[in-house]
Amino acid sequence: MRAASLVVLVAIVLPLVLGQFWAYQLGLYALYAAAAVGLGLCWGHAGFLPLGQALFFGLAAYLSGLTFIAFANVPIVAVLLMPLFASVSALLAYAIGLLVFRRPGESGAYFSMITLALSLLGFQIATSWNSVTGGFNGLKGIPGIPGLDDISDVYYVSAAALLAVLALAGWLFNAPIGVLWRALAQNERRLQLFGFDTNKLKSVAFGVSGLMAGIGGAIYAPQQGIVTPQVVGFGLSADLVIWAAVGGRGSLLGPVVGTLLVGSLTAQLRDSVPFWEVLMAVFFIVIVLVFPRGVAGIAEPLLRKIERRKRTKPSIAAPANPAERSPARLALQGVSVRVGEVTILDQLSVDFDQAGIFCVIGPNGAGKTSMFNAVSGELAAVSGQIGLGGAEVMGLAPNRVSGLGVARKLQIPSVFPDLAIADNLAIALWSSRALRLQLLNPRLRRWKSPMLDELQSRYPFLASGARKAAELSHGEQQILELAMALLTEPRVLLLDEPCAGLSPEETAAVMDLVRWAAQRLGGAIIIIEHDMTLVKELAEIVYVLHNGALLAKGSVAAIQADPKVRAVYVGGEK
Amino acid sequence: MSAPRLVFENATGGYGSTTIVRDLSGAATSGEVLCVLGRNGVGKSTLMKLLFGYLPCLSGRVLLDDKPIHGLDPSARHRLGMTYCPQERPVFDELPVRDNLTLMRANRRLAPFRRYFDRFPILERRLTQHAGTLSGGEKKILSFVRGLAEDQPIVLLDEPSEGVQWENILHMEAFIAEKKAAGTAFVVVEQNLSFAERIADRYLVMDQGRAMLEGTPATIDRSQILAHLHV
Amino acid sequence: MDPLIVTQAINVLYAVSTLAVLALGLAVIFGLLGVLNIAHGEFIMIGAYCAYLIQSWHWPYLVAVPLTLAICGVLGWLVEWIMIRPLYRRPFDTLVATWGLSLLLRKGAEAMFGLGYRSVAIPIPGRVDLLGTEYPIYRLVLIAISLAVVAGLVIWYGKSRTGSRIRAMVSNPELAQAQGISVRRLAAGTFIVGTCLAGLGGVMVAPLVPVQPFMGLDYVLRAFFALIVGGLGSVSGLLSGAAVIGGFDSVISAATSATNGYFAVLVLAILFLWLRPRGIVARS
Repeated sequence: MRAASLVVLVAIVLPLVLGQFWAYQLGLYALYAAAAVGLGLCWGHAGFLPLGQALFFGLAAYLSGLTFIAFANVPIVAVLLMPLFASVSALLAYAIGLLVFRRPGESGAYFSMITLALSLLGFQIATSWNSVTGGFNGLKGIPGIPGLDDISDVYYVSAAALLAVLALAGWLFNAPIGVLWRALAQNERRLQLFGFDTNKLKSVAFGVSGLMAGIGGAIYAPQQGIVTPQVVGFGLSADLVIWAAVGGRGSLLGPVVGTLLVGSLTAQLRDSVPFWEVLMAVFFIVIVLVFPRGVAGIAEPLLRKIERRKRTKPSIAAPANPAERSPARLALQGVSVRVGEVTILDQLSVDFDQAGIFCVIGPNGAGKTSMFNAVSGELAAVSGQIGLGGAEVMGLAPNRVSGLGVARKLQIPSVFPDLAIADNLAIALWSSRALRLQLLNPRLRRWKSPMLDELQSRYPFLASGARKAAELSHGEQQILELAMALLTEPRVLLLDEPCAGLSPEETAAVMDLVRWAAQRLGGAIIIIEHDMTLVKELAEIVYVLHNGALLAKGSVAAIQADPKVRAVYVGGEK
Repeated sequence: MSAPRLVFENATGGYGSTTIVRDLSGAATSGEVLCVLGRNGVGKSTLMKLLFGYLPCLSGRVLLDDKPIHGLDPSARHRLGMTYCPQERPVFDELPVRDNLTLMRANRRLAPFRRYFDRFPILERRLTQHAGTLSGGEKKILSFVRGLAEDQPIVLLDEPSEGVQWENILHMEAFIAEKKAAGTAFVVVEQNLSFAERIADRYLVMDQGRAMLEGTPATIDRSQILAHLHV
Repeated sequence: MDPLIVTQAINVLYAVSTLAVLALGLAVIFGLLGVLNIAHGEFIMIGAYCAYLIQSWHWPYLVAVPLTLAICGVLGWLVEWIMIRPLYRRPFDTLVATWGLSLLLRKGAEAMFGLGYRSVAIPIPGRVDLLGTEYPIYRLVLIAISLAVVAGLVIWYGKSRTGSRIRAMVSNPELAQAQGISVRRLAAGTFIVGTCLAGLGGVMVAPLVPVQPFMGLDYVLRAFFALIVGGLGSVSGLLSGAAVIGGFDSVISAATSATNGYFAVLVLAILFLWLRPRGIVARS
């Protein structure tokens, strides 16, 4: 709270210190800063880069301008409608997000290009639709907000709007949804496998950024008195990206600092300093390549000194898992997967019991991980069925499959490296328990469950919540990911080489954990492993895959005696 | 006394932060085959990748003719005289068989491949077809021929017999014997014990990323190897 | 034949073939290397300004070609070395870096030439009688050159040794390295070919469009949309994408307005992204 009060104080005092001219400038740039904060949310948190943010700023500005002109005699109506203009921008952004964030896989480039194109299109429309927008010369003669005649009044309205936007951003960054956005940027696949619809999350982020830009735009029109196509076009969009980057896109105040500093400086120095704009471009490239944290990154250590140390608040019990959690059989029937000309799974039919520890073994390329990928919905099958406790699972998106109680530990340890351990674990808890709207509630970050307590007493490092996951050793990351999978209390747990790269002690610890989990959860645990000691110790039933099909199934002894298995593992003369 | 061409001492490494193989030592000696045996997942291919420069050694050394080759990437090691036939994706699926054979050669002539075509007529029949249409075993044969035809002093083969029919495996054995007589040093990863027994001069049996057995066919008993190969 | 239809048809052919050539550089870099070079349009801009300079120095127009190739080649080499290579596995960071590059190149052009439009005189002026209508010679020349460039590059890529090696590198980079192909050098060379093709395209279209620092944006977007619609990784993809985007743009712009043409293209791209994300000629 201290830092926040400091910011408000500075905002109030600034025009008195700097004088009328700067009050006016800052009043204008504060509006741009609101849009920059939204951009920082998308880029610095959720991990995608909109290249056309001015569209949302300008759209709200045009709507606002037109309304103020239309209601020139009853300006109060226009004032009351201002939130509506911002909302239009927000909805448009959300809709575009839903449309574009549909490709499975890397959509960053496509999104950026489309937002760029939309901004250019907006500019074209604003320039050519003379009758409505006033064309290239813009919408002129927009009356101001009644009651604000003084320049400092104007400044205070802008500052208030910016502070409101910052408060919103601050709240969201701190809320579970903010944690999810940052998780998304670091490891989208892993987040999907926890049941979160990442496309929706990105669209919401984009919608919020549209709202923030819209707030700035709605005030811009009556403040400046004129709205030109520049306000919707490429130039402003590009500037917003530069300001957010230079200021520090990942921090709350960074984009504001960037906009106010760089933006107003540019306006002053552009004509006097030769090659100023070229210098800014070089500066931008250097920042992006070398100092991604921007100016705020330099100031961060200082700010931390100002912040009083937060008292750790008491934890809150998470609600019980509402999802269907009764044990379920996983069954694949005739599942075939082809990628190009290569057949990866060949009419694979495998049946797992609803409870117990099962191991899947087989030579390289047998299709073991592919089988897991098909189950979790990441690999499309050309034929066959995959059933989970009677429900047909094939064809569902990965986050839906997770929602049905399937948890996975991936082949390469896959956590959220830049998030705190506590946040990693919390995401697992939110996985099937948090309702959508609850994701706005910061209290969810303090959720605990009995299982989490047990895991933390077994592995004390899981309790050092503030440490980043990337600081953990390889073995500890494996255990963290395993713990996260367990916290979702799945019906079927798919473990892909959980002991890869672990020392013998770490392997024993994982085996211990698996045995404990089997007992505690009562569901099925299916493990892909190469380490035969582990298979012999843990497996109740062993499945051998070869060339994408099931070769043999049985106890360890039965498998060892099977001549087909021997031929695959030892080779022979044919 | 034949000279060790490629030597690895206490090689330890893996992918990123994961250590897969530890403390492996051995050598590829002129005119000899070092056979690396073990089940899946024990790290045989990882060892090959360490030797050829796809993965860095976290500790230990790899020496080529007594010179350490740490920083060198795979294409540089190839230029120094090492040939590699990988286990996975052994050919260029999108290129025709002919291009697969002649891609990096000085010209496109097929005369040097005559001896290979005589034993593996399938390759000659499919010269103009895309390599992706070949069966798994045929791709392995193609990769094998490409590798041996490079006529380099050190050859690393990762599971050359996978999916290959026995009579062709015997042809491979014959070609390897020819090359050995001419002084080529081989490191061959294999899972087919019968094939390994026919070509190996030395064994390195791995399990869980480490060396379990090292020696010659004379010093290591078949049953010992079997114990480490089978489940 | 109705002269209006002939003119329209040739206009469409012109739009499609120039888009194909302008998108070719982006297709090479995006399709083969997997890198989206947002600054692609700025390399086209460089070509256009080179043409302008050559003309203002009263040299023969064709001299603009080696000048552009030199500048785009050196610049491409530098960019690949400093920006692209370190970021190869990070497509998002590459996007941001090339966006910064495009900004730098635009601002540089602005600083050197100002924001105003420059015009380049048509090197082969005049019209010729064609199927009952008169059509500008230069445009016909461009159509011919575009088709020749695309055809030539495709044949070279398919038949030459280097072409095979590039295809090998793209399909299986580990095996390519194993056989001694220096993937680094080949990738750098491929990138430079992409930037040079863009510059060449700029020299070609300079006489027919206003030359100004922001001209590249339109082109990179259209080229990108052509690739989305047509599909990455094949020539038929590039051509079908250029045909759809160029064709629609040309027809709708002529019938209604340039803004509507732009809008139609954008809607098309989003539709394809939605319904057929791998493009018309989808390749695994």
